[in-house]
Amino acid sequence: MFYKTQFNGYSVKFSPYNEGRIAVATAQNFGIIGNGRQYVLDVTPQGLREVAAFDTVDGLYDCTWCEGNENVLASASGDGSVKVWDIAAPPQKNPIRSFEEHGHEVYCVNWNLVNRDCFLSASWDDTIKLWNLQSPGSLRTFAEHRYCCYAVAWCPTNGETFASASGDCTLKLWDIRQPASTLTIRAHEFEVLSCDWNKYEDFTLVTGSVDKTMRVWDIRQPSVPVRIMPGHNYAVRKVICSPHAGNLVASCSYDMTVCFWDIKAPGEPLVQRWAHHTEFAVGLDLSVLQEGMWASTGWDELVYVWHQSQDPRS
Amino acid sequence: MEAAKRRQGALRRHLTGKSEEDVVVVCALRTPITKARKGGLKDTPADDLVAAVLKGVLDKTGVAPSDIGDIVMGSVLGSGSQRANECRIAMFYAGFPEEVPVRVVNRQCSSGLQAIADVVASIRSGFYDIGIAGGIETMSSNPMAWDGSINPRISDFEKAQGCLLPMGLTSENVAKKYGITRLEQDKFAVESHARAIRATETGRFDDEILPVRTKFVDKKTGEEKQVVVAHDDGMRKGLSLEKVQKLKPAFDPEGSTTAGNASQISDGAAATLLMKRSEAQRRGLPILGTFRSFSAVGVDPSIMGIGPAVAIPEAVKAAGLQTSDIDLFEINEAFASQAFYSCKKLGLDLGRVNVNGGAIALGHPLGCTGARCTATLLHEMRKRGSKYGVVSMCIGSGMGAAAVFERE
Repeated sequence: MFYKTQFNGYSVKFSPYNEGRIAVATAQNFGIIGNGRQYVLDVTPQGLREVAAFDTVDGLYDCTWCEGNENVLASASGDGSVKVWDIAAPPQKNPIRSFEEHGHEVYCVNWNLVNRDCFLSASWDDTIKLWNLQSPGSLRTFAEHRYCCYAVAWCPTNGETFASASGDCTLKLWDIRQPASTLTIRAHEFEVLSCDWNKYEDFTLVTGSVDKTMRVWDIRQPSVPVRIMPGHNYAVRKVICSPHAGNLVASCSYDMTVCFWDIKAPGEPLVQRWAHHTEFAVGLDLSVLQEGMWASTGWDELVYVWHQSQDPRS
Repeated sequence: MEAAKRRQGALRRHLTGKSEEDVVVVCALRTPITKARKGGLKDTPADDLVAAVLKGVLDKTGVAPSDIGDIVMGSVLGSGSQRANECRIAMFYAGFPEEVPVRVVNRQCSSGLQAIADVVASIRSGFYDIGIAGGIETMSSNPMAWDGSINPRISDFEKAQGCLLPMGLTSENVAKKYGITRLEQDKFAVESHARAIRATETGRFDDEILPVRTKFVDKKTGEEKQVVVAHDDGMRKGLSLEKVQKLKPAFDPEGSTTAGNASQISDGAAATLLMKRSEAQRRGLPILGTFRSFSAVGVDPSIMGIGPAVAIPEAVKAAGLQTSDIDLFEINEAFASQAFYSCKKLGLDLGRVNVNGGAIALGHPLGCTGARCTATLLHEMRKRGSKYGVVSMCIGSGMGAAAVFERE
């Protein structure tokens, strides 16, 4: 099933609490200039239905559900702010927070799965910031990347550890108890746009890059990638490790396709390729609550939710 | 609007795969190249020429002098330590703070290009983010010479003896060995002058030449004047093949290399400003070209002029390209014999080589040449919309160097 958004889709996230509920971050005019809108949609027998929508003055590039309150979510805005919304609060109360510290576009927000009171934001001002909803300002700024920070991902098993992907071509690992990053991997020759942590092996990470490849890393032996997976025809925009199987990875790309990979396959790792988007496919998520449920969004202003056994357009 | 520009830039990067780590040239300029002992810069000290181009790249880009991580200047004939000191002095003339360092590099005629390659390598290594590379030569005050005696041991080493051959004789060797005729050399030379004159008259060099305000002493009257030197002065208008054909061989009475088909001795300086692509984008500076690859090779010193024929394929291969992919070449014309031979050997279309003339017409200020050729190449690539360009030269004592540049 699909839903038509008013602006270009940038990110989609399944709610960790409500089956079939998704958050969709969108931006006008391809996110180059204009407004943004944060949608919350529900899967219903009649298709995807709007539960809430919040307008912003600049485009929204990402969103993340609060892991501690089913009604709360945060959005990453082009104006450098991080907006926090409460869908149970009346419209005039929203956003319930607007954190305005980043100097440039915020491109990623990621809520801590273990220590559920905090989240991270990654920005084109090259920094990453740690926040919680109690403090008026950021708890900490991580300023080591030398170019745009495109993605951050908390370790699924350790609430103090996270990974970040940057335009400086590196993947960095951090422990928030340490003063500096704990590992820097020169992951690709080109900008690294996405990273995610394997949910079953916390020493395995996957990166996606402008070099059109995805790389699998074992942080115990970080000098060379475990595997390089070509297959996308343009930059890989997002990689997600399956919450249900340690060997499965999802990706989407500027080549407009969504792909499904088996990183442990002895031969060709590409399992399946979907080409339902007609513009850049930039937002992707896998449901934790319903195995096999996928959601994607893109610049064709469409949000799809489908089961991997079916055609997204059906 | 700044945000929109930044976002469009990010999108372009993601789609084109231009690496943020690439080192790019954001500014390339040169003084006019003028005849040694006669031309417009004959009374201009080396430090003034260096200061002019250093200040030139800062003025043109608005980059603060304190942001420069290092300055590397190619220099061949100027005495090693004195020239290094002159470059340091020039920095202060140009308004640099004492914190910025400088050094000189000498790989003979490739020094200007070697300086660029060195700065690119240093930026890639993370030693610093922004650097200036260029070259300087004042052949008016530093003629080619050999100080002291020659070690008699050299008689046991044939290849080493080749290093002592006058350059003109190495040109004769190339002409003889590869059958490059006097007529071919003279035609090549006349074409070089014609192209340089056309380029000058049509303003083709305007983007790369930095006019220099300096003093000029009239040799007859001894009067010192303040002048602005704004054009190259080596090329000869109305130079005919007949005239060039009448010139006597300069090195070997039976030979084919003459003053007319060899490079001129000259004064001049050039500089390029280099930084990572990400730094250029962050500063909103235009990218003239990306430095793709560099290769320096060794050849038999007695035929040192074949250097480009060996270095170009190496550099092109290192860039993942083939020679046929290259749209434009700047191959230094030390001698028509070796430049023509190198083109012939590589099967180059002469219509793509030295399209604005070369050292036969413009002059060959040794340490400056590599940077001068780079400035000429990059500005011409921009005007033509070329994708790939090569700078190459032969190197006295038997080497060749080449670099590949890619335009955005």
